[in-house]
Amino acid sequence: MLGRALRRAVWTLFVLFAVVSLTFLVNHVLPGDPARVIAGPQARPADVARIRSQLGLDRPLVVQYAWFLKRLVHTGPADTGAKPPPEHASCSAFGPVHVDLGMSYQQRKPVARLVGEKLPATLMLATGAMLVQLSVGLVAGAIAARRRGTWLDNGMVTVTLIGISAPTFLSALLFQYVLAYRLRVLPFDGFGRTALEHAVHVILPSITLGVFGAAYYTRLVRDEVATQSSLAYVRTALAKGARPWTVLVKHVLRNVALPLVTVVGLDFGTLVGGAIVTEKIFRWPGLGSLSVDAVITRDGPVVMGTVIVASTAIVLANVLVDLSYAALDPRTREQ
Amino acid sequence: MTARRLPRLAALGLLATAAIGCSDDVRPPLGRESDALANATPKRGGVLRMATYTDIRSLDAAVAFDEVSNAIEQLLYAKLVEFAPSGRVEPDLAESWTVSEDGLRYVFRLRPGVRFHDGDEVLASDFKRSIERSLSPDTPCPASSFYERIKGYADYTGKKTKELEGVVVLGDHLLAIDLSEPDATLLAVLALPVAAPVCRSAGRTFEREFSLKACGAGPYKLKSWEPGRSVTVERFAGYYRPELPYLDGIEWSLSVPNFTQRFKFEAGEQDFIRDFSHADFMRYRASPAWKGRGDFEPSKAVHSFFMNTELPPFDRVEIRRAVAAAVDREQIAKIRPGLVRPASRLIPPAVPGHDPSPGQRFDYAAALDHMRKGGYPYDPATGKGGYPEEIDYVTVGGSFEQEAAEVYQQQLARIGIRIRVKALAWSAYLAASARRGSAKLGTDGWAMDFPDPSDFFEPILSTKAIADEDSQNRAFWSNNEFDGLLDEARRELVWERRMELYRRAEAIVVDQAPWCISYNKQWFELWHPYVHGYVIHPALSEHVGAVWIDGEAKRRAASARGAPPFSRAKTEAMLARFAAASDGRAGRR
Repeated sequence: MLGRALRRAVWTLFVLFAVVSLTFLVNHVLPGDPARVIAGPQARPADVARIRSQLGLDRPLVVQYAWFLKRLVHTGPADTGAKPPPEHASCSAFGPVHVDLGMSYQQRKPVARLVGEKLPATLMLATGAMLVQLSVGLVAGAIAARRRGTWLDNGMVTVTLIGISAPTFLSALLFQYVLAYRLRVLPFDGFGRTALEHAVHVILPSITLGVFGAAYYTRLVRDEVATQSSLAYVRTALAKGARPWTVLVKHVLRNVALPLVTVVGLDFGTLVGGAIVTEKIFRWPGLGSLSVDAVITRDGPVVMGTVIVASTAIVLANVLVDLSYAALDPRTREQ
Repeated sequence: MTARRLPRLAALGLLATAAIGCSDDVRPPLGRESDALANATPKRGGVLRMATYTDIRSLDAAVAFDEVSNAIEQLLYAKLVEFAPSGRVEPDLAESWTVSEDGLRYVFRLRPGVRFHDGDEVLASDFKRSIERSLSPDTPCPASSFYERIKGYADYTGKKTKELEGVVVLGDHLLAIDLSEPDATLLAVLALPVAAPVCRSAGRTFEREFSLKACGAGPYKLKSWEPGRSVTVERFAGYYRPELPYLDGIEWSLSVPNFTQRFKFEAGEQDFIRDFSHADFMRYRASPAWKGRGDFEPSKAVHSFFMNTELPPFDRVEIRRAVAAAVDREQIAKIRPGLVRPASRLIPPAVPGHDPSPGQRFDYAAALDHMRKGGYPYDPATGKGGYPEEIDYVTVGGSFEQEAAEVYQQQLARIGIRIRVKALAWSAYLAASARRGSAKLGTDGWAMDFPDPSDFFEPILSTKAIADEDSQNRAFWSNNEFDGLLDEARRELVWERRMELYRRAEAIVVDQAPWCISYNKQWFELWHPYVHGYVIHPALSEHVGAVWIDGEAKRRAASARGAPPFSRAKTEAMLARFAAASDGRAGRR
């Protein structure tokens, strides 16, 4: 067991290293000069050259890569709240261990701090969207499966089709128009300042982001419940006099949970990577808009930072999914 | 209800939703009764709420140089001199100035008693410190080279000296700037925030943290900046012009999509708007309720496409002339009627020296004639002749420039020049278009850095602007007569003579056609009637320094609509009630 866990950890580190290296390479071979983007399209060449030199972009690629890896995790003085020495200005300190993702070219802030500031908002939105997806998907899917072939089932199939087909920007616009502009029950956009305001502001983007997933989960649950319902153990339980809804909740949904958890784990990891369109439209200060802005403005350190967070989230989500199998299905523990 | 009817109902629901979304109605302006106060004495108080679809990277005068940052910087920082509505320079913190006969020394007499936001007096030494801070080789200032004619600039930026020799403190309120050669643009570049005095807390070197506590001597001081979300400024009571500003503060929401801005504007949560989709712009212009309201900000940019004069067929001037004559600029303007205007000269309408008479002109017969003279005759009847190869045109994907390129494609095909539009990402476009020997044809243009005609010639079309990589002169066009005129104009301190030199330089560009000059874009700005005193400044964008608000009318409009749910005030009131109720219960226990 320990050996398996170790192998898994080494493999995870290798995947992360490969993703980081590939991103570094792709980011540097893409056409476009970050110094030019920072200085602006109209900056005079002398000003662009000076900025390029300040950022170290005039050094060979190998030197830049070696420097990046050397700085990524290193040791240094613990954070005492005082201004750090210049060589650790872009670090986030965890005791003597420093993580240095570099300094954002555009925002001129340490990337680790920038990502740290955005991550809670992203997690909040990802959780909100996941709640919408799961609650709607489970309830609607179960009802549709129980009422197969009825108008309710057909209605849900139609609505989920619309939900899956509608592009996010359209559903965002629609929800904003109806709920914020017409009905005025929710704020247009933003993040708020207090916990209560955050909770209110996250509703609209969560619904927007959750619509697609909710539709998908409805279909998934409906089909899985229908498949499970035709199996012998359900017939047996019903024959023994168990109530249909009890059988559904206690037995069928438990078996549906396994494929659902796989999808939820992957989805959550992807959501942490950032919901670009939703964050942009609702001005949600998460990693999605940070990463897309970084790609457009050739802000290499931020691209690296967001890729590391997103890939870590996906890898961790997969590990959690694996672990949850054991909890959900005792047979996998024996295997 | 049967299963068959459901999809129909769903479709009906969708149609209804689409109908709501596509509604042509715009809500009427708020506080129309305030129109009667248009000429009244300005009132103090109120907060102006603005929004922009972009974000800002910095509010540090030394590095912030984009349009939105600049609008905020105009409020935070006072400068030696400022731009008058005419585009000419007038005194700001300098009461007066003198220029030596040889044009190499400017001496500024400063206003006494002017205060920074932190209470310190603004002295000549603060100007020297601030300019040196901005131009320091360690500061990522994108406009540093605008000041390259200040004596000692090269040594200072090359780290050979610790001080900028040409900025001399003659007394607490007397400052001299020495130049290495006469420079008629000096006053204009001193009116930029880059040269503004910043508080002593900013120090002598660039520190990124200063941006979050930006401190100057302007009419407003920074209250808060939450990157990506909002900037709030509040009235500076110690501003040296005691009558200004009128507002208690201004709030900018950042990164707000244009459709959200429209919703907020109509809901009374935003007082001023200029980021319209074209459809919304047309709706407001067509709405009787908004008739006569709003105004256009004259264009500060010229849009064109370059023709690489080092590569065939554009190494032949006749072919370039043919292209310039084949483009019907009126058709380009029709892509965005009202917001895009045909242009035929380099200097845009907002910049001093603009000449409204026609420059490059659409003349199909002349274009065919130029093609013949250039060695590639084309017969429109048979479609035979013309340039034999297809030419790549590089542009930015998803932009208006791409739409324009598709129209050029059709227009140039009529003279036998076939182009293929290559839409690239912004950074890729910059790299591809600015490399020597790379792109033959592509999107180009220039936006005003400061309101002086020199800005539309030297950086983009002079021989000095040519480089093998990252060339600003993307046409790689070199003309000795043109360069000579620019050098002469830069040294010429008599305004009328300078303008004449630039007119001659512009005539060369119009004739030699390294650029096909095509259009200007202009902004339309709209505000609710309770906002007063907004006058469009030709040199500065969104210049709200003299704006005031009819608070009564605004309040009435807000109460008529009801405060938005979950507004900050409502949330705070709810929390206060909750806290009071909790206290009461605790007391009873």
